[in-house]
Amino acid sequence: MELLLPLLAALLVGAGVFMVLSRALIRVILGLSLISYGINIAILLAGAGTGLAAPPLLDVEGPYVDPLPQALILTAIVIGFGTTALLLVLSLRAYQATGTDHVQEMTEKPDPVEVLGSYADPERPSISPEFGPEEKLSDTKEPS
Amino acid sequence: MNLLALPILIPLFSGAVLLLLPSRIWRFVLACLAALLCLGVSLSILNTVLSGKVMVLQMSNWPAPWGISLVADGLTGIMLALSALVGLLTVIFAGSSLQHEPRRGQSKLVNELRERFGFQALLQFLLMGVNMSFLTGDLFNLFVAFEVMLISSYGLLLIGNELPQLREGFKYVVVNLIASAIFVVAAGMIYGLIGTLNMADIAVKVAQHTASYGPDARLSLLAMMLALVFATKAAVFPLGFWLPSSYPVPAAAASAFFAALLTKVGVYSLIRTFTLMFPEEDLIKTLLLVLAALSMVVGALGMISQSRWRHTLAFANISSIGYLLMGVFTRQNMGLSAALYYLIHTVLVIFTLFLIAALAEKIAGLKYTSEGHLNTYPWLAASYFIAALALAGLPPTTGFIAKYALISASLKVGGLLNNWVAAAAVVTGLLLLYASVEIWRGFFWGESHAVHQVSLPAGMKGTMAASLGLLVLLAIASGPLYRLANFAADQLSRNTAYIAAVLVETQAPRLGDPPLPTDHGVEEETH
Repeated sequence: MELLLPLLAALLVGAGVFMVLSRALIRVILGLSLISYGINIAILLAGAGTGLAAPPLLDVEGPYVDPLPQALILTAIVIGFGTTALLLVLSLRAYQATGTDHVQEMTEKPDPVEVLGSYADPERPSISPEFGPEEKLSDTKEPS
Repeated sequence: MNLLALPILIPLFSGAVLLLLPSRIWRFVLACLAALLCLGVSLSILNTVLSGKVMVLQMSNWPAPWGISLVADGLTGIMLALSALVGLLTVIFAGSSLQHEPRRGQSKLVNELRERFGFQALLQFLLMGVNMSFLTGDLFNLFVAFEVMLISSYGLLLIGNELPQLREGFKYVVVNLIASAIFVVAAGMIYGLIGTLNMADIAVKVAQHTASYGPDARLSLLAMMLALVFATKAAVFPLGFWLPSSYPVPAAAASAFFAALLTKVGVYSLIRTFTLMFPEEDLIKTLLLVLAALSMVVGALGMISQSRWRHTLAFANISSIGYLLMGVFTRQNMGLSAALYYLIHTVLVIFTLFLIAALAEKIAGLKYTSEGHLNTYPWLAASYFIAALALAGLPPTTGFIAKYALISASLKVGGLLNNWVAAAAVVTGLLLLYASVEIWRGFFWGESHAVHQVSLPAGMKGTMAASLGLLVLLAIASGPLYRLANFAADQLSRNTAYIAAVLVETQAPRLGDPPLPTDHGVEEETH
């Protein structure tokens, strides 16, 4: 156990870094998740490396394990959950707007707002009738 | 009465209510009120800490190393006042800029959507995160504050859903997530090694350990990890690659706030790390000093390479971070007071320049190559002139005083490295001047081709004028401000007051019996 968990943490972070370096959005997100798992294990080890102490419960005899690293990990997990959800939605939006999930191709594409005056997002909700996408289209095309 | 929790609580509650309010006017009024209240509280805190007292609030009344402490010393007071001031101006500016016609080449709907989907609320949450990072005295709580700040900034960066926002937003989120991952593992390992997360307690234990066992490579490693994280947030040269492309993409008000304050949170954390927790790490400090010099030069060169308003100013921001860190990491804290004075100056200069850029973008689009706006908008030209002088550091402005102080502190310490850094600062001043003239030549000078004048909303003009007025006021009130910076720097370099104020209750007998991690400390680790 002493050696196994650090190796596991290193493996997870290494695999995560490898995936973050790839050019597909979804791999980057998965890589980030792997990194955060590896890091959670590392924090767990920093707080309770021996793995022998009892859980800090009232009806269990000590010596107790230090519960604080676990609280830290819990916070990190919650934050990681939120940001991963955000990243997934973001990559989906980017995919819908550009038709690719490859970072390089995305950069080469010109910005439709600057070129056409239309929206990046094909599913942009029209929130008020006078500002709907239809009105915008008639702006760019000359009425004949 | 202890006001320390209020700069966090006011934006939290107002942000939550702002999400519920249906009408734009009421949202604007509430956001303004909250920002005003925050400003009042921050100024009152600044007033209290100026008497030399370090304010401490132990959350839930848990004694210091076990609970979370909120601490305010001189530096915190200055930062809180700055963030509240910039926050108020941003709220007003956003209220005006989001309801009017967008800049040229942008669809009408974008700003409407930004306002409707919680721009003001996100701004309040961002303020909450920023204030919390300034106030907290706990390393893990600092991580949480960073996350609150970053998640709100993701929202502000992405809201509006334009393609550049999606593209640059993704990179911004990924870079910050990796930095946060390093931060959290550094915090966990500091706890594992030192047995505490309270910054004052870390300072005491690290000092004890260094005094009895000499320098420890493990502590240097942890300090290096923290430096890496904070330097990434502060956009120091090789780590700041994400900034120039991501800061220009959101709404103008968000850009201005980001540039003025978010990078400064990174600088604030670096100051705390290397004056309070790890003051002995000379090698890392030297490394950061070299990087500061590089940031200055690279930022100024980057400015020259750009032709769009906000891209140029984003590089100006990197350059200003270089100047700041040059002051912070000059040996023996000699440049610290100059750095704090420069900090006050640069927050306002960068903010004003971004507001001017927002107005200019409304007139002629993203680039500043459309010549001849001097006759049509003389007031804008005059404002830009003053702000550019301050940025380049020419005499009647605060920029000159700040840079003079920085360079003379560096020369006073002497040595090969410091002399080179001072030389870099002087050369960068010239480059910044050249880059500012370049904007002037591109946008204001030359024949006017404008057929009609673009009407600019009064709110935007008014906020820009107020921010510029503050900048001028700063130059007039230089004496008292420099004393303020001196006072805060003095408090930082002798961190005993901070530590004593936070840990004072540990000596007193405690009620209850919180779980003690005391014998898990450094002493045990080294046997």
